[in-house]
Amino acid sequence: MTSKDELLEQLSNAVIEGDEDLCAELAQKALDAGIDPYEAIMQGCNKGMEIVSNKYECKEMFVPEILLSADAMYAALDLLRPHLKVDADAKATGKVVIGVAEGDIHDIGKNLVLMMLDVAGYEIIDVGRDVPVDKFVDAAAEADADIVAMSALMTTSMVRMEPVIQGLKEKNLKAKVIIGGAPISKQYADKIGADGYGKDAVEAVRVVNDMVG
Amino acid sequence: MGKMTSAERMHALMMGEKPDRMPVNPFAMGYCMQIVGLPLGDFYSDGKKSFYGQFMSMRLHGYDVTPMYGYASAGPWEFGGEIGFPYGPGHSAPYVKEHPVKSIEDVENLEVPEFKDGKLPGAYQIADDLFQICAKYKMPITFQSGSTFTAASVVADTNLFLKWVLKEPKILHMLLDKVSDMYVNAIEFFAEKYGAENVMPFDGGPVEANTILSPKKFEEFAYPYMEKLHKKIKDEGIRVVLMHPCADQNLNIPYYIKVREKFNWQGKYIWLFGPETPVQDQIDAFGAHDIVCGNVDPPSFQTESYEKCVELCKQNIEEGRDSPSGFILAPGCEFPPGASPDKLMAMMDAAEQFGRYD
Repeated sequence: MTSKDELLEQLSNAVIEGDEDLCAELAQKALDAGIDPYEAIMQGCNKGMEIVSNKYECKEMFVPEILLSADAMYAALDLLRPHLKVDADAKATGKVVIGVAEGDIHDIGKNLVLMMLDVAGYEIIDVGRDVPVDKFVDAAAEADADIVAMSALMTTSMVRMEPVIQGLKEKNLKAKVIIGGAPISKQYADKIGADGYGKDAVEAVRVVNDMVG
Repeated sequence: MGKMTSAERMHALMMGEKPDRMPVNPFAMGYCMQIVGLPLGDFYSDGKKSFYGQFMSMRLHGYDVTPMYGYASAGPWEFGGEIGFPYGPGHSAPYVKEHPVKSIEDVENLEVPEFKDGKLPGAYQIADDLFQICAKYKMPITFQSGSTFTAASVVADTNLFLKWVLKEPKILHMLLDKVSDMYVNAIEFFAEKYGAENVMPFDGGPVEANTILSPKKFEEFAYPYMEKLHKKIKDEGIRVVLMHPCADQNLNIPYYIKVREKFNWQGKYIWLFGPETPVQDQIDAFGAHDIVCGNVDPPSFQTESYEKCVELCKQNIEEGRDSPSGFILAPGCEFPPGASPDKLMAMMDAAEQFGRYD
């Protein structure tokens, strides 16, 4: 294993451990060593978050652990991103408008999906929580988004997703829609005309990858 | 056996006898307001209207539980923060506008709310307006007594709270202790005001679900305060507790069993788990002593047909009907406030057709 590989593996492990200070230190070391920041992000940060995602699926890690991993990852990303070369920056996989459906302020799940899409290379437009229908549609139009991702925790807010899908269609926008959240099912996603459904943050990223792919 | 009234049915259940049919608890809260043509927000902001909506819905549909008051984001208002009532599109329950705890210093300075008659903290005053009417009708006083962990997670900024699980355990315990002290005060106040034999504390919350928290952290941060409150409940002489471990709490079940064993509890818990927990698992864990509720998937009542809802209820009835200490047909969480009344009718029809014991 080369010293570069070792450094990136250490970065990946620091993300998994949620060690914010170590992540920043290793990111700086990577820059000082002349490692391509894009490679540091993908082989260090992204790889670490993929392992975190797998551990969450296996119930080996839970939300508090993921939040600390996210903080650690962003400590590295904040240092690495300003050094991305323009051509590497252009590698953004797609644009995602993401938010919580109208009437709903529960955004932990949305933030997990956002973070995982972010590190997977998507350009994120976070429209927040309790998002009115028009705001989703306008944001998708303005960004020429590839994906609109919506979450809901309540049975009252889940019904605010269908008008967004209708709004996107009425404006002939290209964005595909993925939905998720506690009361949502694949059947409901199909029923309201969503293109995809993610039962959790890990699956959501997989589905978005397939939709964009 | 002649047809029982709801009160007779619930009494038989509590006494360990077979009622004419299994009782139904649709866990209908915000839904009730559409029955009386009032906005959903009134359910939470006005105790008298809340009683009226629940009482009329109960009479119209013929289900077997009486009015109650509580919501998942309880705590912030009582500790000096701000909540909003659900009057907007997509809203279903009160939501936090300002968390009273945003720093470690805030936890240190946090004062436990006191309970004085006529001047109760936050939503407890609204709840007591409802309870006073319940008392006139000799209905149980079903007040919120937990969960400490879920309440603390919204008293504090929720992201910060979840990070403290790993980074600031001492501060987290300080916060949890203060929040549990609020519930100790609530238990003491309502048991004294209405009589221990007339109150039914309601304990439950979603933030300790295993999609969020590991069972190890549940043991460390949620269980000790559940134990503290349930000891208080026992010491006050209260005999019935409604427990709603919300969402997927399968890995926490051993701790719920432990709390009964710890105090050699001779009263009854009524368990209402989420749809993620098979009814048979609940019967295995609690059926020998306690009443187990059904857990029909709540969104189904909003998205599926009447016929499908009857079928889902029938399946739930078949799973739970022989639970040794009794079974109540219920959804696995609140009945969707926006569901149409025929879906609640589906629940009642299923209980009448498939849930009879006579």
